[in-house]
Amino acid sequence: MEIEIISFGQITEFIKHQKIDIAGITDTETFKQYIENQFPALKGMKYKLALNKNIVQENTEITKKAVIAIMPPFSGG
Amino acid sequence: MSAERYNRQIILKGFGEEAQQQLLRAKVLVIGAGGLGCPSLQYLAAAGIGHIGIVDDDTISLSNLHRQILYTTADIGKLKVEVAARRLQEMNTQIGIIRHPIRLQKNNILDIVSRYDFILDGTDNFESRYLINDACALLNKPLIFAAVSGFEGQLAIFNTPDHLTPSTNYRDLFPVPPNKGEIPNCAENGIIGVLPGILGTMAAAETIKLIVKIGQPLTNKILNYNLLTQEQYTINISHGNSYTLPKTVDEFLNMDYQDTSEGPQGYIEIDASELVKLQQSESTILIDVREKHEVPVLDKQIYTQVPMSEFGPFLNKEFYQKQVVLICQHGIRSVAAAEALQEKYGDAKKIYSLKGGIVKWRDHFLKS
Repeated sequence: MEIEIISFGQITEFIKHQKIDIAGITDTETFKQYIENQFPALKGMKYKLALNKNIVQENTEITKKAVIAIMPPFSGG
Repeated sequence: MSAERYNRQIILKGFGEEAQQQLLRAKVLVIGAGGLGCPSLQYLAAAGIGHIGIVDDDTISLSNLHRQILYTTADIGKLKVEVAARRLQEMNTQIGIIRHPIRLQKNNILDIVSRYDFILDGTDNFESRYLINDACALLNKPLIFAAVSGFEGQLAIFNTPDHLTPSTNYRDLFPVPPNKGEIPNCAENGIIGVLPGILGTMAAAETIKLIVKIGQPLTNKILNYNLLTQEQYTINISHGNSYTLPKTVDEFLNMDYQDTSEGPQGYIEIDASELVKLQQSESTILIDVREKHEVPVLDKQIYTQVPMSEFGPFLNKEFYQKQVVLICQHGIRSVAAAEALQEKYGDAKKIYSLKGGIVKWRDHFLKS
C-alpha cells in the first residue's frame, strides 16, 4: 500500500515527509504499529493521526494513495 | 459608536453596519496576554469588540519583548494585564476593557468564562489549555484555540457546531495532556517572535468571523501552520470516544488539571542556596538534564550530563548517591526527570529539582 506520511512539530525531527509502499498496511491500526516500530520515539509521545485530512478516531481502512498526517499537541503561546 | 473609526470595514462588501454592531455587542475573553494574546487583543480592540476581558497573572520580562508587542522596555516588571489594558484603551476609547489579573483555576474559571460569549485561548501550558477546554465545554462557550511550537502553529475552533458535525473539543484531538517535559514549551524550545504574531492575528480573525458569521471559520477543524514553508494543512475533527468531559460543576471541580500547587509531590523544588548546601554532601549527585548542545556549558566534573533524550536508558542504571539534584534551563524538564526518578526510587532516594533552572540562578552558575 502506498502511503504518503507527513508530520508536524517535533515529530518532524525523526519522521520526515516520505512515501512508503509496504504490503500489509491496510488500516490505521497496522500503520500505527508499523510507524511506532520504525520510530520508537513515537511510542512515548501523545500524537494523533489524520487519514486524508480526517482525524482518525477508530481503526479505519486505508485505501490507495492515502496521506497520513502525524500531529503532536502544541501548548506554546 | 463613531462610524468613521470603523468606516473601512463597514464599507466592506459582506460586512456592513450590522456586522459592526455585532462586534460592539460581543464579549470576548482573551486568556493569556503573551505572544498570542498581544496581537489578538490589538486587532480585536481595533476592530471594535465592545467588551474585551484579559486574563493573565504574569509580569513583563525582557525575554517577552521580542514577541509580546504591546509592551515596551519601560514596562518590564509591570503586570501584563494592566499595561495591555491601558494601551488598548488608548487605541480605542469606545470599548470596555476588563482586567483579570489572576491565574485561572478550577475554582475561578467558571465564574469568569460565564461572563463572556467567546473565549480565545492564548495560554502557554497544557494545564491551562485542558482547564479552559473543559470549562468552555461545560458552559457551551465557543473556544478559539491557538498554540505554537518552534516554527509551527495550530489553530482551531471548539464547542461550536457546524452544518456537518456537532461541536468538538480539544479532547477529541488529544484526550489527555502530555506528561510534563514530553512536549517542550517556548521557554525550553525557543520561539521566533513573528510566529505567535501570525497565529494570534489568525485567532482574532477567526473570532471576528464567528461573531459576524462570515466565511468559513475553522469550526471542527484544526489548521497546522508552518512558518518556514508557509504551508497550511487543515484536518477535520470528529468525535472521539476515549475521554469523558465533566458534565456538571461538581464533576469539573473534581477533575485533576495537574495544578502543581495541589496534592503532594514526591520530589522537592529548591533554590540555588539549597543547591549549594546539598552539593557539599558526598552523597549528592547533580544531574544536568539539558541536551548536549545547550548553553551555558556547566563543569562536567560537578554536573553529570544526562540529557532528557537519554533519560530512559539512565533510569535502568543504578548509582550510589542518596540525594539527586536535577537541573535544566528553566526548571521544567528537571521536574519531569524528578518525577521519573521519584517513581523509580520512592523514598529510597531524596529527589530535588532546581526551581527556575539555570536561567533563574544565572549568577550562581556563571561564578561557579
